[in-house]
Amino acid sequence: MKAADYYLDGPAPETPEPRQRQDRWGETRVVGRPLPRVDAYERVSGSAVYPSDVQLPGMLHAAILRSPHPHARVKRVETSRAEAMPGVRAVITHQTPGADIAWYTDREGATVGHLFEAHCRFEGEAVAAVAAESPYQARDALEAIEVEYEVLPFTSDYETALEPRAPAVRDGGNRASEPGVYERGDLAAGFNAAEVVVEETFRTPCELHTPLEPHGCVARWDGNRLTVWESTQGVYPVQSRVAQVLGLPLANVRVIGHYVGGGFGSKLRPGKYTVIAALLARQTGRPVRLFLSREETLLCAGNRPANRMRLKVGAKRDGTLTAIEFHGLGSGGAYSGSGTGILDWQVRDLYRCDNVRCTTENVYIHAGAQRPMRAPGHPQCSWALEQVMDELADRLELDPVELRLRNLASVSQGRGGIPYTSNGFRECLEEGARTFGWLAARSRARSEDDLARGVGMAGGLWIAGAGGPPSTAIVKYFADGSVNLNLGASDIGTGTKTVMAMVVAEELGVPLDRIQIEHADTATTQFATASGGSKTVPTDAPAVRAAALDCHNQLLDMAAEELAVAPSELKLDGDHVVAVGDPEKRVALREVSDFRRRQVVVGIGYRGPNPEGKATCPFAAQFCEVEVNRRTGEVRVLRFLGAHDSGRVMNRATYDNQVYGGIVMGIGLGLTERRVLDTGQTGKMCNLSWHDYKIPTALDVPADVTSLPIETEDVECNTVGAKGLGEPVTIPTAAAIANAVYNATGIRVWEAPLNATRLAELLAEREA
Amino acid sequence: MLPNFAYVRARTVEEALEHLGGEDTRVHAGGTDLLGCLRDRVFAADKVVSLRDVEGLTGIRRAADGGLVLGGLTTLAEVSRSSEVRGLYPGLAQAASAVASPQLRNQGTLAGNLCQRPRCWYFRGEFHCAKKGGAQCYAVGGQNRYHAVLGGGPCYIVHPSDTAPMLLALDAAVRIVGRAGERAIKLAEFFVLPEVELARENVLAPGEIVTEILLPPAPGLYSSYRKVRERGAWDFALASVALALRSIGGRVTQASVVLGGVAPAPWRAEAVERAIVGTTVDEKTARDAAAAAVEGAEPLEWNAYKLPLIRGIVEESLRRFHDYQPS
Ligand SMILES: Cc1cc2nc3c(=O)[nH]c(=O)nc-3n(C[C@H](O)[C@H](O)[C@H](O)COP(=O)(O)OP(=O)(O)OC[C@H]3O[C@@H](n4cnc5c(N)ncnc54)[C@H](O)[C@@H]3O)c2cc1C
Repeated sequence: MKAADYYLDGPAPETPEPRQRQDRWGETRVVGRPLPRVDAYERVSGSAVYPSDVQLPGMLHAAILRSPHPHARVKRVETSRAEAMPGVRAVITHQTPGADIAWYTDREGATVGHLFEAHCRFEGEAVAAVAAESPYQARDALEAIEVEYEVLPFTSDYETALEPRAPAVRDGGNRASEPGVYERGDLAAGFNAAEVVVEETFRTPCELHTPLEPHGCVARWDGNRLTVWESTQGVYPVQSRVAQVLGLPLANVRVIGHYVGGGFGSKLRPGKYTVIAALLARQTGRPVRLFLSREETLLCAGNRPANRMRLKVGAKRDGTLTAIEFHGLGSGGAYSGSGTGILDWQVRDLYRCDNVRCTTENVYIHAGAQRPMRAPGHPQCSWALEQVMDELADRLELDPVELRLRNLASVSQGRGGIPYTSNGFRECLEEGARTFGWLAARSRARSEDDLARGVGMAGGLWIAGAGGPPSTAIVKYFADGSVNLNLGASDIGTGTKTVMAMVVAEELGVPLDRIQIEHADTATTQFATASGGSKTVPTDAPAVRAAALDCHNQLLDMAAEELAVAPSELKLDGDHVVAVGDPEKRVALREVSDFRRRQVVVGIGYRGPNPEGKATCPFAAQFCEVEVNRRTGEVRVLRFLGAHDSGRVMNRATYDNQVYGGIVMGIGLGLTERRVLDTGQTGKMCNLSWHDYKIPTALDVPADVTSLPIETEDVECNTVGAKGLGEPVTIPTAAAIANAVYNATGIRVWEAPLNATRLAELLAEREA
Repeated sequence: MLPNFAYVRARTVEEALEHLGGEDTRVHAGGTDLLGCLRDRVFAADKVVSLRDVEGLTGIRRAADGGLVLGGLTTLAEVSRSSEVRGLYPGLAQAASAVASPQLRNQGTLAGNLCQRPRCWYFRGEFHCAKKGGAQCYAVGGQNRYHAVLGGGPCYIVHPSDTAPMLLALDAAVRIVGRAGERAIKLAEFFVLPEVELARENVLAPGEIVTEILLPPAPGLYSSYRKVRERGAWDFALASVALALRSIGGRVTQASVVLGGVAPAPWRAEAVERAIVGTTVDEKTARDAAAAAVEGAEPLEWNAYKLPLIRGIVEESLRRFHDYQPS
């Protein structure tokens, strides 16, 4: 199974010649250290130019008119009043020549919806757009567009979407695809062999990405060449979609995305806004800025689907799992069949079990389409699986860590039993528990006062995180020993630029402040896939390393001639080349005549293929302590520990940042976040703001968070030995909290988020 | 985006009142609530009259009777930091510091906090609800997790203010100035339920200004404010309770218990008051009194959790009071 959204199909480029030494790093000098970000000053001082900061001479401001109804037909759009308003330069609708663009396709590739849809299937569907001299004029003009809607019945509850009376979202009904079925072994026999069976139904809410920088772009035409400054996780996916939709050669579409103020998966691809900005810019002959409002980012820029999961697990007295049955239901909205994408993966892969059956069902509802959100499917599955494991441990009177240790998988069962290139799950569990002080905290007597303390843990793995080809990087070594690193990858806030510069510094001995980085620009930098799937480091760092080594080898070749010593006998020593056995034989690079003649040495690196027949996955275990108010059900997270096997730690500071950030997001899923639709009345979204859609604040996150890297040595996954990190860090968090709450109170909460709005009643019921 | 409106910065109360004649003129104090309402088109404004430059509307001073006078434009941050408030009415300092976030407390004012509009998402959102002149209260059959369990109907908002329940418990009054003159009324008469006034939450006539909040003297007064929210900051009360008690030798002689976040107006829990007056508020009294707090509550589909929540915080607050008593 493949997280299809993250990968482009196509052949991998040639791997570099083996003459490039690519043995694994032993002691590293730079890689692994907690170095500050190379762009820290720009980010902190405000001098970094994010796409939403881009100001161009003559730039117009655009806005999109959206359907206020979850299901409606546009019967008439009247734009003349808007067009006549001061400052308005263009108004476009589906009737505008050139704007009648196919946008949504079904699995067969047939068009099922357009850029401006006359049949609106979710609140927030684009109906028209305006470009004006100021953002205010643009918004005013939207209000002057008259739209006559025929309001139609809608379906907004995914759990009842398959009932016969539910209004159909699509012509074929609300079933988005045939149920997905995965099976291995003999489920019935497995449950027959079980001595304990736990079965429960779980629910997780629809979560929103809500990045700080809204989605959007600035678009400018120069003749038939389009430049787009887009807030994106990947400039190349934006380029290819825009070129395809507008019928332009790829070479005519330049996409630049030097900075991006958060994406979390919602900016892996362009939005309608990108194409609309380009159309308005073409029509007006002016640059156009189109960024969504905060409300639009909440309403229609993607989400993590809500899921209902039924999980049944059987085990022997000694804890050995004998059977797992999983059923998942979800909706990707009106235009995505991916409401349960990779939802069941951990059931298939995390714990050893011979008899497994997973079914997933996908339905359409009248709501905005999902977009991959940090570890799609996985935190939801973890909420179910890890609570069941906890419950099982309880019934078997086993320690939860011990139960997991008894069920470690030695191979990737979900992939037919192939080995992992490395697997540090055991160490995550054992060393995590040790460092957290798990056993002591577990055995502490439960206090009887108002505030109950408890500890909980959960394990996890992330399906992807191997990365893979294609990726190309270029290192330019200048005559003064300074370096230019050129790669297409975006830095989505994870520290990509810093890590890649450190790889160059490691190989070439150049200090970080002498490395300049060009990245995320389809015109000037090399091909890279979008930054998502926790794959940027494992994908691009090996390409960067190969480029640095290519450069390194060329420099040695040149010096070899100068010193009359074989290149294999030479090594780089700062800006000098020295003979290994004879330190007398050394030459400054700037004195090497061949180098002086050329002035610049260019190294090219490609990402080679992943090992065949093996799987590469990051593993995780998280531990936490909570305090629950027995009267009110208020939950306070006191401390957290994340033990993560993501292979080599490339930069301890950016590594720890990912762990902290992932836990913060997981706390949101566990405790505070949920999208609320006005199901049954209007189908509109209720909590369309940051105080009603509740992401955790600083006060909801413990000061005491420990990042414990489990640095397994992975010599096979790729040439730097790093696996993905950005997503596994948020997978087990919510389940660990739920388990800790159970430990504190004896109450299980099967539905997220878990807070006083649920616990107060459950605690009171138990009292009664 | 904000619609267009005229903006005036008045220098005196008289000047402000002059501008505040029309239907859609609005008082602007800190603007933290007003501007959000305008941006979300909850109501319209053709003129916004700022009180920020009006002399004499800020600050905290002792009244002749020993109570306190708080200028209506005093920020919530000042209220929460004031040593006089902390000394005499610690519950009010607690309530003020439980509001929103530091930024909002620096900008938002005490009068603004009392006069802010409700946070019901149907009222704030694109729903033509009863409170805005529409036919129905969407909360009744809709997403009512944050709505009223007491005093609701025909509209089920909860009053959003944290300071209001505390000030009501403290028996505070507000001084109101309008073109017709000036009056001081008790907060008990200030807030109104939707069954009386559907469109507004208090008795202020259009164009009237709250200039001062008046607190009666505090000798022997115990006060506390306890709030429950879903997240640690930037969140309104799921439920809250304000206590103002007087006692002699540990025995309660006078009690005022007001609930927030559960009714369209700060909600006096008289049954709780009756249950504790004359007692030392031992464990059983506290529990029984807490149970009485939700008498008559009528939860909607999704907000029944508020009942145990109210009981929980009332009991907890009474126990705190009990433990606090010097034995
Ligand atoms: C994100 C967010 C979270 C919040 N969380 C909380 C919370 O947890 N608890 C809480 O209590 N509040 C909360 N609030 C509300 C906040 O406390 C109020 O917005 C603030 O107190 C209002 O004060 P202001 O001076 O800014 O009022 P303004 O916004 O200027 O005015 C508010 C309203 O009162 C009227 N008004 C203001 N002053 C006067 C006056 N002197 N006389 C007559 N009418 C007047 C205005 O016309 C307007 O209708 C929150 C607000 C936001 C935006």
